[in-house]
Amino acid sequence: MTTEARGEIFDLGYQHYDGPREGRARVVRSLWVNGFRTALGLGRGAKAKILPLLMFFFVTAPAAIIVLIASIVGPEAEIPSHAEYYQVVSILLLLFSAIIAPELLIPDRRDGVISLYLVRPLTATDYIVSRWSAFFVITLILAYAGQILLLLGFVLAAEAPVDYLRDNWLDVPRFLASGAVVALFVTTIPMAISSFTVRRAYAAAVVIAIFVITAPMAGILTSCEQRNETFVETPGGQRLVVSSNECEPLTGEWAKWFALVDVGRAPQHISDIIFNEENNDDDVSRLVGDLNTAIPVVWYLLLVLGPGAALYLRYRRMTI
Amino acid sequence: MTNQPLLEAKKLSKHYGETVALHSIDVQVREGITGLLGPNGAGKSTAMKLFLGLLTPTSGSAEVLGDKPYENVDVRMRLGYMPEHDCLPGPITASEFLGHMAQMSGIPPAHARTRAADILRHVGLDEERYRHIKEYSTGMKQRVKLAQALVHDPVIVLLDEPTAGLDPGGREEMLQLIRRTGKEFGISIMLSSHLMGDVESTCDRIIVIEGGKIIEQGDVSQFTQETETLYIDVDDRRDEVVAALGRRGIETTIVGLSIVVQKQSEEQLDDVRDAIVEAEARLRRLAPSRGQLTDIFRRAAS
Repeated sequence: MTTEARGEIFDLGYQHYDGPREGRARVVRSLWVNGFRTALGLGRGAKAKILPLLMFFFVTAPAAIIVLIASIVGPEAEIPSHAEYYQVVSILLLLFSAIIAPELLIPDRRDGVISLYLVRPLTATDYIVSRWSAFFVITLILAYAGQILLLLGFVLAAEAPVDYLRDNWLDVPRFLASGAVVALFVTTIPMAISSFTVRRAYAAAVVIAIFVITAPMAGILTSCEQRNETFVETPGGQRLVVSSNECEPLTGEWAKWFALVDVGRAPQHISDIIFNEENNDDDVSRLVGDLNTAIPVVWYLLLVLGPGAALYLRYRRMTI
Repeated sequence: MTNQPLLEAKKLSKHYGETVALHSIDVQVREGITGLLGPNGAGKSTAMKLFLGLLTPTSGSAEVLGDKPYENVDVRMRLGYMPEHDCLPGPITASEFLGHMAQMSGIPPAHARTRAADILRHVGLDEERYRHIKEYSTGMKQRVKLAQALVHDPVIVLLDEPTAGLDPGGREEMLQLIRRTGKEFGISIMLSSHLMGDVESTCDRIIVIEGGKIIEQGDVSQFTQETETLYIDVDDRRDEVVAALGRRGIETTIVGLSIVVQKQSEEQLDDVRDAIVEAEARLRRLAPSRGQLTDIFRRAAS
């Protein structure tokens, strides 16, 4: 209604908001996006972005190198498969999760922001599911990134790419499934541990310590008295190892079970089952391979569902 | 003004095991500024958490706009909360944080940014809104805490001890901001405090709570009038002053070194003056003191 020509600045005072209010679904989505961005260091300083970028590099670099070798040497090259790729990167993924997962949960509790979240239109369960799934998607992307690169490399390096795909198509659902197995594992355990401390460094240290301690423990418990190796003498007097997989563990029959103590390998065993691989690269994998298939599966599920339940209950019962 | 109470507790009880935090309280909070007054451990925080839906009642109900927040979290879209303790992240600008918090109340991103800028201007953080919160002073942080409670334009906002930990200057600023929120912004407020002064200077209505029970409730003027007291400090001859006051029919009590008189009327001041003159005491201080919380509790107990 104002028709005055001269400009004037009005303090309109407080204006009520009469725009849309979208409710719980929007709220959960906002929190999810916030978690995703936080984990990647987006919207934060340059320092926060270094680790996610490095991780992306380290996870994809082995795939790039493998592809490079394959393309130079050709099909006869002894190159790691999709299955073996996870053996390489699952440790890296775990390291990444140990450091980044606490970032999504601990500052909220340490700074008290959680008490602002929990009075908004979402439940404590919404909160933790949102945080967990944001990080799960990130580890999933990391787990798949290298595999996709690997697949692309193999296809392009093959003499007949279409034939390669036809012969090896099963690798795709397999690496998707085992990638999810790895991601589920490296997301849930560090998150559960992060829910019990307000120090990010402690959480990371505990996660890394669990895996660093259990690996040699399993090694000791499954160590061999002697290796029953079979040799052949070459004419030049050199001894060639024909078979070196025989080993009499000191713990005898129990060694198969003790091999499970190495919890960091738990998703690896599932991956071996999915790829239907006989993993004889190391004693632990070989011993677990001797167990009934259900046992490493149950063990893996316990290692994921146990911490998962702890995480869920911890937040459900949180009082602020 | 509608007659629907914004907050309503009906026979609301909350037990923690054997401990009774709230014992069957009935409260209605309507538009305006309401003070929830009581000592620490009286049940103020428990009452607030029940209205926020952070706790579930042991029995009875706590309703916000006719809805139970512990059963339906959506009602929290119209509810704001400012906790007593620290609740702000460090490495983020106030502008970004407020935008995020608006979205966390269900406001779409484009609107959230506008709301964040608006509310920061209203709490007086216009210039500093692109600075990281960790660089803020205590007073500024307190404003951000209030702003996040208001960013989604709630119908009513619950402030838990909003002046705790502030120096006198900061406290006055905060109380002023609360008054503006209530009067100019038209957002109803329930604030908790253990300080009569805070409640007296900001609230329209007051609910006194102790030991999990409502002791009194009513308009704030009613409380302050009833509890006005007069403090008399003399350098010597205190007993003579007490005697002289007694002869004039004025009852006294001794609190510390002061003679305390419950003020009945303005004329009574003349009697007090005459008594001091008669006792030939050297007067150091003669000051009215608004009712203290303890007075209310003393009266309630008797």
